[in-house]
Amino acid sequence: MYGRKASQLLKEFVSGEPGQLTGFNNDVFAQVIEECDGNILHLQALLRKMQEEGSNNQTNKNADHFGALVHHLSLVRNKRCLMAYVYNRAEVIQNLGWTIKHADLPAAVKEKLSISENEYFGKHSSNLQSYMLDLNLDLAVDMVPPKDPYIKVRVLEEIGEVLLSDQIANLAMHSILFLKRIDAESFISQGKMEELTS
Amino acid sequence: MGQYHHDIDDILADEELVPAVFLEAVNGVGLFESNDTNRVEPRSKVELPFWLASELHLRHVTSVTIPPCFGKKTQEEIGADGAHVDLRSRCSYFYELGCKIVQLINEKTIGSLLLVAFQTRYKEVLIKAHTSASALAPKYLSLLTKEETKLYEAAKSSTEAFKTWRMGGPRFQKASVLGRKRKPVRE
Repeated sequence: MYGRKASQLLKEFVSGEPGQLTGFNNDVFAQVIEECDGNILHLQALLRKMQEEGSNNQTNKNADHFGALVHHLSLVRNKRCLMAYVYNRAEVIQNLGWTIKHADLPAAVKEKLSISENEYFGKHSSNLQSYMLDLNLDLAVDMVPPKDPYIKVRVLEEIGEVLLSDQIANLAMHSILFLKRIDAESFISQGKMEELTS
Repeated sequence: MGQYHHDIDDILADEELVPAVFLEAVNGVGLFESNDTNRVEPRSKVELPFWLASELHLRHVTSVTIPPCFGKKTQEEIGADGAHVDLRSRCSYFYELGCKIVQLINEKTIGSLLLVAFQTRYKEVLIKAHTSASALAPKYLSLLTKEETKLYEAAKSSTEAFKTWRMGGPRFQKASVLGRKRKPVRE
């Protein structure tokens, strides 16, 4: 059945957890495009046949006309599926730019992106950074309304000596620190720290 | 084309199979694997995905009939104990497909069937989502359609959000794309 492969592609996308990406499925993506190529060949062959027979496809709707129609509809359907796949992945990637800088993206996530998605993320992320630089304001912090300028955090990964906005801190693994929220926030979204609540 | 053009659920609802009868002969299509001649004869009864069947129906190439999931058997079961009918195995896009079918063929019973089914099941979904322990949930969840599963998840997450708000808990989260699991501690 036409269009089956393309819907499998989308089913795979929705079966993942929301907000997370599965690897870009190059195999199935290419198979769908192959199916489209097949549709075009059939469509053109049918149209040619109708021209040779001299039938006007507006007035004389014969079996060839409807065959061409089925191929046309399948093409439109496959196109819609592929576009939706790329579009919905791009949405997830755009949201990534707000939590993680391009350079900090872990290899495990990076290899899930296709080449053009990777490039898209890099450019989107750098645009976002330069916009924030222009504004002289980090828009990615304080996504959760603050209750207190300082929070208590535990370091989950060795980070080392880092210059923070009010101090130079040694962020060793397992250490528990009292940091400014805006400093801690990006580390938490990268999974390098966790917030502690009393 | 419209606001739903990139909506994956809308696309997948269109993939559901509906019974249809061809009114015209169609040449040069390999729709059915058993068919060697690549020709579909008039009056052949087939199951087509909705996206294809509806377009062909509008052009009078096929005639779509009501899918079995909206048939008499389902109507009776919904009437008896709507909340515990396994709708997912019948059609995981029950409501969406129902709405689409009604627009295509003028069938009066489907509208009220959808409404009754949703009303009785909605209440049950919310009760289960707010109260049941997570160990009990999988069995009940397997009865729900896509739409109902979303409602269940939404209700569950709002209960959890209320609990964190009342008890106070960590408000910062790791970026969801990195996954839930904590990385293994390196030796």
